[in-house]
Amino acid sequence: MRVRLVLCLIGLALSWPALPEGPRRLLAQAPPGANDIVARVQQAFYAPGKDMKARVTMTLLSTGGDKRLRDLTMLRRNGTGGEQQYFIYFHQPGDVRGMTFLVLKYPRRDDDRWLFVPALNLVRRLAARDSAQSFVGSDFTYEHVSGRDLESDRHTLRGEEQRRGKACYVVESQAQEAAEYSRKVAWIDKATWLPVDEEYYDVRGELFKVFTADEVRDVSGHPTITKRTMKNVKTNHRTDVVFADVAYDVGIEAEIFSERYLREPPRRWIQ
Amino acid sequence: MLRRLPEWAVTWPKLTVALAIAATMVFAAWLPRMRTDTDPKNMLPVTSDVRVFNRQVEQWFGLHEDMIVVGIVRDDGLFDRAALEVVSRLTDRIVRLPGVVAADVTSVTTADNVVAEAGTLSVQPLLPAIPDTAQALEAFRHAVLDNPMVVDRLVSAEGRATAIYVPLEPGANGKEVADRIRTLVSEERGDLRFYVAGDPVARDTFGSEMFRQMAIFAPMAGLLMLVALYGMFRNLALAFTIVGVAMMATLWSMGLLVAIGQPVHIMSSMMPVFLMAIATDSIHIFNEFYFRLREVPDRRRAVLETIDTVGAPVRYTALATAAGFGVLMIGGIVPVRVFGFFTAFGTLVIRLMSFSFIPAVMMLVREDRLRRASRHESMDAGASRSLAWLGRFSVNRPRAVAVSGVVLLAVALVGLPRIRINNNMVRWFKPGSEVRVADAVINEQLGGSSLLYVVASGPGEDALKDPAALRYVEAAQRDLEQEQVVGKTTSVVDLVKRVNRVMLDDRPKQEQIPDSKTAVGQYLFLFGMAAKPATLNTLITGSAERANLWVQLKTWDAGAVEQVLTRLETYQLAHPPPGLRFEPAGIAYFNLVWNREVLRDMIRTFVTALAVVLVILTASFRSWRWGLVSFVPLGLTILLIYGALGYVGKDFDMPVSVLSALSLGMAVDFAIHFIRRYRQRLADDADTSRALLWTVARPGKGIMRNAVLFSLAFAVMLFSSLTPYITVGAFIIAMMMLSAFFTVFYLPALIVLFARREPTDAHAAAHAGTVNPVVGHGRT
Repeated sequence: MRVRLVLCLIGLALSWPALPEGPRRLLAQAPPGANDIVARVQQAFYAPGKDMKARVTMTLLSTGGDKRLRDLTMLRRNGTGGEQQYFIYFHQPGDVRGMTFLVLKYPRRDDDRWLFVPALNLVRRLAARDSAQSFVGSDFTYEHVSGRDLESDRHTLRGEEQRRGKACYVVESQAQEAAEYSRKVAWIDKATWLPVDEEYYDVRGELFKVFTADEVRDVSGHPTITKRTMKNVKTNHRTDVVFADVAYDVGIEAEIFSERYLREPPRRWIQ
Repeated sequence: MLRRLPEWAVTWPKLTVALAIAATMVFAAWLPRMRTDTDPKNMLPVTSDVRVFNRQVEQWFGLHEDMIVVGIVRDDGLFDRAALEVVSRLTDRIVRLPGVVAADVTSVTTADNVVAEAGTLSVQPLLPAIPDTAQALEAFRHAVLDNPMVVDRLVSAEGRATAIYVPLEPGANGKEVADRIRTLVSEERGDLRFYVAGDPVARDTFGSEMFRQMAIFAPMAGLLMLVALYGMFRNLALAFTIVGVAMMATLWSMGLLVAIGQPVHIMSSMMPVFLMAIATDSIHIFNEFYFRLREVPDRRRAVLETIDTVGAPVRYTALATAAGFGVLMIGGIVPVRVFGFFTAFGTLVIRLMSFSFIPAVMMLVREDRLRRASRHESMDAGASRSLAWLGRFSVNRPRAVAVSGVVLLAVALVGLPRIRINNNMVRWFKPGSEVRVADAVINEQLGGSSLLYVVASGPGEDALKDPAALRYVEAAQRDLEQEQVVGKTTSVVDLVKRVNRVMLDDRPKQEQIPDSKTAVGQYLFLFGMAAKPATLNTLITGSAERANLWVQLKTWDAGAVEQVLTRLETYQLAHPPPGLRFEPAGIAYFNLVWNREVLRDMIRTFVTALAVVLVILTASFRSWRWGLVSFVPLGLTILLIYGALGYVGKDFDMPVSVLSALSLGMAVDFAIHFIRRYRQRLADDADTSRALLWTVARPGKGIMRNAVLFSLAFAVMLFSSLTPYITVGAFIIAMMMLSAFFTVFYLPALIVLFARREPTDAHAAAHAGTVNPVVGHGRT
């Protein structure tokens, strides 16, 4: 046992300089701030208020100039212990009008997802495949919409920087669990705790996606990103998202997040 | 100027040589800036219709121009824990390779698969995790073999082979990525066999191999030629001169090509070989020089008389050759035009050297050695004697000889229509080569490595969500699959049917197209919500105005693609499509167009070049009759070689078409030399038969020497690992030997039959001779 330990230490010592940025990363111990920053971002970005309602328009732009629209109403309700419920109603594209989608989100566990298919008048449960899964064919993943577990990445504060006129923390997140990226660098606005820019690097360490918050508005005291863009710099595919009619703490009932309402969407919340 | 040049050169030989070397160094100075372009695809410019449309299709469907297919075979079946672990590990490692489009690498561990599990609809990789129990393994086997979208595309029907599809980033080198993948698989242990195939592998391997082999074989051929030349002339300096002239011409042409900013393409990489072939024409000068040296005591006079005698034919062969290559410039293919221009330029450089550098060297070589070497030269010696016998036969029995020629012509003409214009890059490799074996195995076990896209376009948005349109696409798919060469077809229809089945409790009989457009739309949306966007996008555009039908072919034959497209057209005629249009795209289609455009263009320009050569011959002899007679050895050689290709069943492909151009430079030289020298001789000796026999024995010897020398040098190419090089070798040997033989065997007979009484300009030639004070009446 002891021999093995010694061997391990020797091995580590020998491979130390060979590790890319290894020594630097370990020596520059994550300051206690990094995880706190990310936790505050999670709160400000994905969970402000007790509930939220918004009309979301996603424009999917391909390199070839092809333009697709996803027009939906999103209802969110925060549960207890980090649980969240999402109810999504599709207005567009035309042939999916009336399709509804329910996501029950649990910390450290796969989501439950149900989908109502009007053409078949059927509700089907969808398996949550992996975190890298695209949200309705856009450049955003489900995690971009509803957040990612804090513990799934190792976060490091890389410093502080001015970014597009805002004083920011630069936080690097190394994926520890499955993710579409191996590394993400985010510039966090110190004033709002919302990301200004994010850069995503793939398994080869190459930049492939860039997130930008294009417009931030104050809605009932919650700074809210009302325009955002995710661009895949490798394919040049881009998704522009506009959040309109955002309202917090409107009193969305818990029972709405159920199979019954999938079939009969609540008129009160969805115009 | 060319008349003055030799005099100048023999007067200041050292200065001439120095100037030639200095000029060569100026051109050579550009060479370090050489850029190479090994991609045969670039024979068609990026702005050509097919490349523009292919790029458009790639954009519509998020496709990649180039894809490598890695085949993995296990004889005992792939449904084995260890084997699947290897597949999984290999996929993970390939994704990390530079030049690979990481997000779109498709294997059993990454491909989206729609399944129903305990009432839950799930889109997940076919193999999300390695099964750890026998039951799980069995379930996986069932899931795979039950899914038509997987069988023969990702896993073979017998479950013994699987594929990893590796798309490449634009500009990535297929050979380099393939080499890296081969390194990865070489680290795997176990009973799996791996095969790396696909168009980019063949193309880029060929591209780099071609340059490499050119670098090996061109110098080797040069060296062999040097040895043979030494054997013939017994003087190393003179032997070096011929090879040196070829090298200088190559350096001048290549230097100029680089200087004007052109990349060295596959086509122009062949230039050294061509110029070496053309430079051997200088043998005639040396041949005559050795004869003269025995007859004329003064070396300076011998040199000038040689140049004066051989000058006219050498000039005209240069003109004919340069014009022949120059005509390649009228074609539509840019690299062929570049090649034509610079080879023509090189030809002129060689001629310039013939009148300057070569006479200068002749003055510088030690005279006693030259005289000793030339002592062996005699018209009664071995080769000349058998040539004389051949000549006598031809002169004495002209009709019989001519008839034999007609018979040969008829045989060639029968074979000619059997030629198949076809290109298959994989067949540029030998049957046992890694590239070819890999391709064969993947084509045998799986759907095929050659990929054709058929884009179905409807009248507007959502057109391809219409069940009627989908049913038509499906029917067309089933029809195409009847074709032998089609290994697998995949379209959005397969996906829609699959989702329908999974939505409706996974009952196999529900594997069908739903009845309403809305249902199709919702299925696709649903799939898009759960799968990687790319999976859906490669099959249908976001607007659903277009769908992409993937057709995997079991061969890279351009002809096979043509066959499939013809079938599709026939099907559409018999079953008019409901407002759908079908357009082919993809690498397989590109190869077909490339085949059509490049090869047809080559054939067109080649035929034009032949016509131009005929006109030049006619003009140079100022007689159609002499022009036609002198064209016979070239024409008959070409027809016979292509006739033989027809009989043997070898495809008329890119290498063969390139070689056609070579015949322009070679075969015509012999006839020009023969006839020119014959007519000069006629001025001294009015007897036709005697003059012909003299021509067969003396310049004829130069012709045969030239032919043998070159055949010998290029025989080394028969040992190449690339079949096009073997073709080059065999072609050159056949061409040189046939045209030399035809020249000395048929020309005397034809001259006796058709041109005996033709008023020649022999008197004019003799007259021209007297103008030159050096030569005077010094003919023997």
